[in-house]
Amino acid sequence: MPDFPTPFTSAPAAAGDRIAAAGTVPPEVAVAGPLRPEPPQRSPLAATLDRIAPTRDERLFLVLSIFIGILSGLLVVAFRIAIEWIQILTLGSAPHPGQFRLLIVPGIAGLVVAALVVWFFPAARGSGVNQTKAALYVYDGYISFRTVIGKFITSAIALGSGHSLGPEDPSLQIGAGVASIIARNLRLSRRRLRMFAPIGAAAGLAAAFNAPISAILFVIEEVIGSWSAAVLGSLVLAAVSSVVVVRLFMGTEPIFRIPSIELRDPRELMAYAVLGLFGGLLAPVFSATLGFLRPRLRAMPRWSHFAQPAIAGLMVGAIGYFGFPQVMGVGYDVIDQALHAQFIWQVLIALTFLKLLATTVSFSSGTPGGMFAPTLFIGAMLGGAVGAFEQHFFPHLTGTVGAYSLVGMGVLFAGFLRVPLTSVFMVLEISGNYSIIIPVILANTIAFLISRSLQPVGIFEVFTRQDGLDLPSMEELREESVLHIEDAIQSLNVPIVRDSDSIQSVNEAMAREHATACLVRLGDGSWYALSAEELTSASATLTPEALVHRALKPDRTPHLFPDLPLDAALHYFPRWPVLPIMNRASRETLEGILTLDDVLRCYRGGA
Amino acid sequence: MATLNAGTVLTPEERLARRRLILRDAASLLTLFLITVVIFLLTLLLYRSFENHRQTLGLRWKARGEAALQAGNPVQAIDALRSALAYTPDRQTEIELAMALAQAGKTVEATAYFNTLLESAPGDGVINLQLARLAAKKGDEPLAIHRYQAALDGTWEGNGYDRRREVRLELVNYLLSRKEYNSARTQLLIAASNAPDDPQIKDQIAATMEKAQDPTDALSLYRAVSARRDAPLAAFEGAGRTAFNLGLYRVANAYLSRALSHPGAAALPPAERAADQYMVDTASHILLLYPDLNLPARSRAERILYIRKVARDRLSACTTSNPAAAPKLSAIVSRWDQIPSVLTVPQLEQQPDLENSILQLAWDTETGTVQYCGPPSGDDALLLRIAQNPGAVEQE
Repeated sequence: MPDFPTPFTSAPAAAGDRIAAAGTVPPEVAVAGPLRPEPPQRSPLAATLDRIAPTRDERLFLVLSIFIGILSGLLVVAFRIAIEWIQILTLGSAPHPGQFRLLIVPGIAGLVVAALVVWFFPAARGSGVNQTKAALYVYDGYISFRTVIGKFITSAIALGSGHSLGPEDPSLQIGAGVASIIARNLRLSRRRLRMFAPIGAAAGLAAAFNAPISAILFVIEEVIGSWSAAVLGSLVLAAVSSVVVVRLFMGTEPIFRIPSIELRDPRELMAYAVLGLFGGLLAPVFSATLGFLRPRLRAMPRWSHFAQPAIAGLMVGAIGYFGFPQVMGVGYDVIDQALHAQFIWQVLIALTFLKLLATTVSFSSGTPGGMFAPTLFIGAMLGGAVGAFEQHFFPHLTGTVGAYSLVGMGVLFAGFLRVPLTSVFMVLEISGNYSIIIPVILANTIAFLISRSLQPVGIFEVFTRQDGLDLPSMEELREESVLHIEDAIQSLNVPIVRDSDSIQSVNEAMAREHATACLVRLGDGSWYALSAEELTSASATLTPEALVHRALKPDRTPHLFPDLPLDAALHYFPRWPVLPIMNRASRETLEGILTLDDVLRCYRGGA
Repeated sequence: MATLNAGTVLTPEERLARRRLILRDAASLLTLFLITVVIFLLTLLLYRSFENHRQTLGLRWKARGEAALQAGNPVQAIDALRSALAYTPDRQTEIELAMALAQAGKTVEATAYFNTLLESAPGDGVINLQLARLAAKKGDEPLAIHRYQAALDGTWEGNGYDRRREVRLELVNYLLSRKEYNSARTQLLIAASNAPDDPQIKDQIAATMEKAQDPTDALSLYRAVSARRDAPLAAFEGAGRTAFNLGLYRVANAYLSRALSHPGAAALPPAERAADQYMVDTASHILLLYPDLNLPARSRAERILYIRKVARDRLSACTTSNPAAAPKLSAIVSRWDQIPSVLTVPQLEQQPDLENSILQLAWDTETGTVQYCGPPSGDDALLLRIAQNPGAVEQE
């Protein structure tokens, strides 16, 4: 009788726990490639579970997704309250330039956070997105309870005290951690266990943004890389559950109040294209700045890790103290003001670069927090600046400044985080305005393409490499060119016979063309690849006048088409000497043939 | 939660294990449910507590913002109202913030803000009015008028009639500032017809009608108000003033005399009182001078002879002092030459046509000489006033 664990007792610490606690991962444990298939070796317990309750995992997967969504939503609500409350307590209810506390609070909070991170929660440092990916690809979905608690506390202190970071990334990790904790207490299969982390991540992100579609897309686009019906179902259930919970507490209003926006004139698209261009140029700057500073600060002596968040806090505080408190903290309210055209373009430009600076130092110093909100902030300011500038000099060409701010948010999201699809849906979801879709698609695509060409490695990939991990890059996977059968296909150079032909005539046809195999077209439209050896064996037992049909075994060659991946053909070769490649419109019509040599030549690049 | 596999034959031990598994899964889910409930309650507690705190902060900042707005300090109001909105988002506060932005001269920001608010309530009178004011400030006349009209047609909290009338009068003042008198007069007539039976309001509308160069309708309104038992001083003054300007000197004399004898007249500013007194005196002199048809024939003839003398003297003085004017006034001179140089009262009494000719010539003389010899004084000035609309002098 199998011994099941007691529900919700602490699971034994996995290797991943120790590694995560250390904050770094040795390269030898890193695994590349999306979603490894279930390993063939199964534990006796898993085998028993499969036998006595084969559909248990699948059902639990969906039910737990709802629980994960609800719990993630509740924790994200608590997280947001914690951030705001800490902000009120530390920075006051209405921070403004010249308040001395603006100067000192982020620095002191930086010291506290640094101590917590170094002594108690080392895994709280770093990108939640990458840690969730690491949980998925490296640690079998394991995220420790301590990491969740640490991320919650340290991020809330950092963000509440004015560090220039966002709550979405920690929310994402909190969601993933909750999912991980729940899943491993129910003894699900490793494959299911791994998948819970991204499902929780989707729930956490959906709750943070109050935007379920964007969260689901982000997780698919950046974390999982692909999806099946079951995974999508769970993602949707978790994301929707979490958003329902958040809306229950926070109301149904989106995080930004979007002004009236419409595309008045198709010529305005030119102006949005210009915004896309600027976004595409700024995103690599942001990325390169982080990529430059972060590893250098991490490489500094351990004692300096205490000081770095404090110094970053002092710098951010100084920016706030001397005139731009808008850059402090999450900045949703400032984005909202930009959406309502409440800044002149000079201020918007200043906020763009000051926020970029503040976020770079905050994040690089190891202060826990995310990049989503700062990206939206910088994008909104950049968009507003471009819009206000264009409106000032070309008033006949442009729409409202708020529209440019909104599109700017998507632009930097696409250019910096490299999630073009999510960026479009995010703008649509938070604006609730479909009429903005054409400018958003145009500007985001331009920003994405320019950013990619200037900085080929995306920011999450940069962080991954800096952390010594080798996680799959979804962007690279999307761009990877997959070989297809049509790349290796050869013209028909083997005889084609009918199953009604005699063995003798088939022998003669093969001898005439010096072929080692022939293709037999059967009466039902299927094909059979007959090798010379098979024919010789048949000839030994059958008369020459016998129909070749009698020489065929019961199986038939697979249905393969030119557009299928080349991999699809590979595993048929031990059985068939040659594979007929069919036309999708008419399976009796052959496009060509494929041999093992053709496939291998193609893989070697010689096709 | 473990799902039975009907197609598999299980051993008794496996069946027992499956039962245990079902129980454990059920227990796990129940535990999870209870944990969820506990976390929900904790979050709810935290949320409620924080919301109360937010409400307190929001109300505090809102009060500060409103106080700053009322004290005419929109910049402080903006900061305070923004803080209030951060804690307690509320439509009224948003409107106040947008108003503060507008007052602080941040027209673009205020317009964007109001437009956002308008999107959720397109028929809101307050927002349309604010947008109208902003459009007026930006000089976008068509948009301003459109927004004013939308405000008039929109919804208002509280007393909609009063608010709409105020908006209409504001629109009228805007139209007057753009010298759109016809449109202003149309709006004023609507305002007058919809106005409640309140003398103050009617006086206000009548005064605006005066500004809209519509003294006739203004006079009607003033007279209507003056007919009330509790007629205010302003109504008498307004009626007298408009009547005076229309040349209705008998009417003007009556209303202005009542105004000056009104108990409130003592409290009038000296300049205003002096102006009223001047109009009364002028009207009285004109009435003494004017040869009303209802006068006895002798008196009328005497007045006409006097007017003839004054007018001829004016013509003579003008042509003497300004020889260049003589050729231009020659037609009038020749018309005077056709009038008998010596006329007695009895003679004139017998010739009504001659009376009318003399009067017409006197009016023409006064209006003609003023072009070349400047404004007259004394009785000439009075005759010039009569000449503007002789038939109105004695109208009731």
